[in-house]
Amino acid sequence: MIEHPPAEFGLTVVSEPMTLTFHVTGELDYDTSGDLVHCVVEHIDRHPGPREVRLDFRALTWIDSSGLSALLMIHRRAGAAGAELRLDNRPGFLDDRLRLTNVLEHLIGCAQPLDAGTPEADGDATRAGVT
Amino acid sequence: MLVVDPHGDLVRINRAARTLLPGAGHGDSLHDVVPSWLSDAHQRLVRRQGDASSVAPPSGAIDERLFEAHASASADGDVVWWLVDDTGRHLAEQALHTAQERTDILAQVSSALLSTLNADRCMEMAAAMAAEHMAEAAVVLSPPHGRRHTLTYAVRGGPATRVNRQIDPRGVPGLSEALQGFPPVPARWINPDDIPDWLLPDGFSAAGSVIVTPLPGHGVPAGALVLLRSSTDKGFSEGEEIFARLFAARAGAALSAARLYTEQAAITATLMRELLPPVLRRTHGVEYAAGYRPAKDNERVGGDFYDFHPAAEPTQETLVVLGDVAGKGLEAAVLTGKIRNTLHALLPLAADHQEVLDLLNGALLSSHHTRFATLVLASVSRRAGRVRLRLTSAGHLPPLVVRSGGEVEQVPTHGTLIGALPVVTARTVETTLAPGDTCLLYTDGITEARGGPLGDEFFGEPRLRRALAECAGLPAEAVVERVQMLASQWVGAGHHDDMATLAVGAPRTGPLTVVGGTARHPLPRSGR
Repeated sequence: MIEHPPAEFGLTVVSEPMTLTFHVTGELDYDTSGDLVHCVVEHIDRHPGPREVRLDFRALTWIDSSGLSALLMIHRRAGAAGAELRLDNRPGFLDDRLRLTNVLEHLIGCAQPLDAGTPEADGDATRAGVT
Repeated sequence: MLVVDPHGDLVRINRAARTLLPGAGHGDSLHDVVPSWLSDAHQRLVRRQGDASSVAPPSGAIDERLFEAHASASADGDVVWWLVDDTGRHLAEQALHTAQERTDILAQVSSALLSTLNADRCMEMAAAMAAEHMAEAAVVLSPPHGRRHTLTYAVRGGPATRVNRQIDPRGVPGLSEALQGFPPVPARWINPDDIPDWLLPDGFSAAGSVIVTPLPGHGVPAGALVLLRSSTDKGFSEGEEIFARLFAARAGAALSAARLYTEQAAITATLMRELLPPVLRRTHGVEYAAGYRPAKDNERVGGDFYDFHPAAEPTQETLVVLGDVAGKGLEAAVLTGKIRNTLHALLPLAADHQEVLDLLNGALLSSHHTRFATLVLASVSRRAGRVRLRLTSAGHLPPLVVRSGGEVEQVPTHGTLIGALPVVTARTVETTLAPGDTCLLYTDGITEARGGPLGDEFFGEPRLRRALAECAGLPAEAVVERVQMLASQWVGAGHHDDMATLAVGAPRTGPLTVVGGTARHPLPRSGR
């Protein structure tokens, strides 16, 4: 029972020498997840070698199974490029989906305790993936 | 320059005018040597006493060329006519007019053809418009299906007719090349006598001139267009040939789009037929029922599925599975088919859900994509009036059990989604259904159905639990129908995803125990 104001999907990219950060806005679903993967992969390929790929979900309003599939692909591509994936500021519904499908540990690394990363625990979530 | 007296006789004619009017000489009557448009203009001018200022200069043709005649009256009543050659400007204006007309036609062609996504209708319209605007008759040939082509004929003013026939395109110069998308053969290379009868529409006896042009599609040829005129003297000009190619480009694009759409719709329909969920029925004393409402978006096959593998013997387990594939359309359909086939093959191993999921995961893993599925496996058997369930969720929403007394419990099975990670783990949970209890498997299309009074609220699990509590003691089929109906009502006319539910029920059979006036079975809570 989450309220959903229709939000336009948006993506802002911040490219730093060691880190690529993507601020994701709106709904990550069947219609938008292809764009996210395309954009992130393109930036990873163009970047001289990021140590970290960070997806910031502070303004994410919804994610469906296609969106989750996109995160798995980004994790795979970031790993192949030698970068660590971090999922920052995860809303509750995102964590719920990651836990239900048992991919939270896979996506953010084993160091992340299962109960961290709720919206109330932004600080923990930000450190996700640091091992 | 001509000088003409008030009576209409030539007084003087200069050399340039003599070249233009070779027979004319001094003293001839103007009427005899120049076209009537000029002699009439002279008479009108004389009647107005030489006042040429108020009217536009007359113009007309002399031989093949066009002239504007400017008059100036001299004092003695003679009129000096200056003939100015206007052919170039006139031709330019005519060309502009034709070009505008053709642009209009092309715009009409595009909007008319693109408004239909039916390939046959599109070919009929293209043939009819080609006959209307460019020729007396037109034939649109489709690329071959096997060895047959679809030919659509149109004669100007008549209806288009379509036949499927085996033809030899080599019988028409340039046609087999056009069907392969090569550039058109100029019209003068085609001898109308070489045109075979099958290319002529009914009621069109002989071709005088012919244009064959390819219909370029999206990367592949969309067919060929043949334009026919009956007489040789009104052949196709170079401009008309170019226009025919422009027309063909528009028509080809539209036809190609229509064909792609038709093909896609056919593929979707085929897959839908292939992937239709099975019919569930009461088996070995256990009730099974399922409901499926596909997303409204019917060009996209949705990702929900369920399957039913009844046991051969009452002592064996029946396997049911309900799941959801990430994504939509063709990709989702292909993955769904793969999962259902693989699970079918893995049935002999169903005693160990973890092993089934390991093997299924291995079969689905792909380096190209991370498309995954979530599903619940349920192995069902019945012993001594009670139904034993082994349930394993692979990343899917956990099943809910509604007891005959109205309590709703979540079965705490939990596991990894299938098809994206190298290793999957899952916990199988056993539960027992007493008579009147029902276990419901469902997809997130139910809980994430958006609707309600404001139209954007989720149906949600708490609402689903309340609905189930009200279904206590109902047969499995009624539970499924109730849940599907409530979720559909919640969505109303709004957009929704696939919604699938599957219920396994322990029927209330045999004599009921009457306790304190209410009839009910004992409600054991063991086995979880």
